[in-house]
Amino acid sequence: MKVGLVSPYDFASPGGVNDHVRRLAVRLRQLGHEARIFAPSSRADVDFDSARFYRIGTPIAIPVNDSVARITLSFHLANQVAAIIADEGFDVLHFHEPLMPALPITMLRMSTTANVGTFHAFARSNVGYFYGRPLLQPYLAHLHRGIAVSEPARAFVQRYFPDFPLRVIPNGVDLNVYRPGLAPIRHLRDENLNVLFVGRLEKRKGLGDLLRAYRAMSMRVPQTRLIIVGDGPLRGRVESYVARHRLANVVLAGYVPESVKPRYYDSADIFCAPATGAESFGIVLLEALASGLPVVATEVPGYMSVLESGRDSVTVQPNNWRELAASLVILARDADLRRRLSDYALRKARRYSWDLIASEVVEVYQEAREAVAAQPAKAMEVTGVHHAV
Amino acid sequence: MGEWTWRGFKVVQSLVERLPRAWAYALAVMAARLAWRFSPLARPRLEYNLKIACPELRDDPMALRRLSRLNFQNHAKAYADLMQLPSARIEAMRPLLKVKGLENLDAARSLGRGVLAVSCHMGSYEVVSAIWAATLAPVSFFAEELEPRALFEWYRDTRARLGISVLTLDMGGIRKVLQALREQEMVITAIDRDITETGYLMPFFGKLAPIPLGPASIALRLGTPLLPVCVYRLPDDTYMAEAAPHVFAKSTGNPRADQVRATQELLRQIEGFIRQHPEQWHVPHRIWAGSP
Repeated sequence: MKVGLVSPYDFASPGGVNDHVRRLAVRLRQLGHEARIFAPSSRADVDFDSARFYRIGTPIAIPVNDSVARITLSFHLANQVAAIIADEGFDVLHFHEPLMPALPITMLRMSTTANVGTFHAFARSNVGYFYGRPLLQPYLAHLHRGIAVSEPARAFVQRYFPDFPLRVIPNGVDLNVYRPGLAPIRHLRDENLNVLFVGRLEKRKGLGDLLRAYRAMSMRVPQTRLIIVGDGPLRGRVESYVARHRLANVVLAGYVPESVKPRYYDSADIFCAPATGAESFGIVLLEALASGLPVVATEVPGYMSVLESGRDSVTVQPNNWRELAASLVILARDADLRRRLSDYALRKARRYSWDLIASEVVEVYQEAREAVAAQPAKAMEVTGVHHAV
Repeated sequence: MGEWTWRGFKVVQSLVERLPRAWAYALAVMAARLAWRFSPLARPRLEYNLKIACPELRDDPMALRRLSRLNFQNHAKAYADLMQLPSARIEAMRPLLKVKGLENLDAARSLGRGVLAVSCHMGSYEVVSAIWAATLAPVSFFAEELEPRALFEWYRDTRARLGISVLTLDMGGIRKVLQALREQEMVITAIDRDITETGYLMPFFGKLAPIPLGPASIALRLGTPLLPVCVYRLPDDTYMAEAAPHVFAKSTGNPRADQVRATQELLRQIEGFIRQHPEQWHVPHRIWAGSP
């Protein structure tokens, strides 16, 4: 099967959706399918096989959902994309965030093959979906099958488009890459207990709460270290917080290459994910579980769709650093509890192995192809709206 | 003083980090020219060392001048590389690294006892190790703790981000080195400078210098092969890592003699590397007694 994977986000900057696309492409290839990726990119070189990657458009940063989406807004890409699609002759086009402007929505409009869409995002509300409903509905009808990465992501889409059926297929994790027993970063393995945070340094990841909690925690559990992996707009504020409160043992690792990231998980004792709300899934949680780390996380819907509180994690109210600190202290003092959570985490991670997930996705591709065979699709008319933009 | 060194370093580093590589090098070369002209001690010490390493320079002051200036420039470029590391996209830098003598490394590795790579202060070893660690296999540095502490922590975190563990020359560090070697990792260290001042006097370029026996004693204890390696910059600003055939510390019952023998064998290889690229041997430090 020849599959085109379409991502709206800047392929050169790290993020959950692109990570998903990248790994799915690799797995599809291993399963004997051909995969191509379409995405905007701010750099020509994206660390992915260039023969299988189509760089469409240049992304711009748009603040949305307490984060920054790097998408392309070039609606004039249509001709370029049409030529490639005609040339490649895909069996399936798989759109990630299919209703996101401009790349997925432009390609969806022109596609005559089997279309599958995966919805990753979750938020309390989406003005675009709300007001755009009449406009977006025809696009949605163009999708033959829909996937949501979690229950909250599905509920979010169905709030606006209640009739659209979605199957939940979670994100996967590569169990060969994330596993216990890798070479740790050796100087981080000392008498200190390491708390690890992995994520973009931005507001919605809740790093502010974690820093406050760590400050409280380090007074009660002296031998601790906080390792922050990731970069982002809040880096300066994190640095100044650490300096202002003279927090000892905080390692700001910055952006860590994918090849080294698993070793950071294997250097840690506790994983902390303090996001404040708008998370649909949290791939980092899977990586932590697969590395056998006990997790302290906030009870946001996306995280709770992965975690089972008390079995693989300790969960706390979002935006509540006191609770977060208390949980960290309890977990730091109780090695037995950490071991129990970690054992369960390792067993659980097997359910999310990319091999299983990719074969489920291929099943959906087959269904979509059958749907197309039953009722051949035709490209949507270019509407007046598109001429307007 | 320490605090101000650190602040100064950080200011320069955050500037250099944001520059394109070519600009950073241009700035480095300018700084190197100033340092070469005005440094009170670094240049005389470097020239003293170079004269011992390359005796033919003793009678050729012009060549020595040229070589020491080039050495300063390369050293400054190595610093620029280091300062750019925090934002470097290291995965993309793999094509910049060429390797010579990979079969020697493979041979040492195939013994299954880890590899203790022994080198000298040459070339941009930071970048080369970073590329190696991020794209090929984990490595650890066995190196001194710098002063001030903040600078050392910066070094350590920057290296760690790229997969390099930094183990200090103390008991805790040595324990970790042993552990890393037992888990078949590669540990890198340099023996051309006696930093802890516990070195054993032996001929280095024919003149007695204190040389650390630590690597040889670890190798003797674990049966780890010692691999002489060096890295240097090619004229197009790419990097070459070169490995010579490995050396064993064989036990004959007299540990000190065994350590000295293995270390001397390593030194012969390292002398060879330095003679080939004296312009990249960055040692504006005291190595031999009698140095300025």
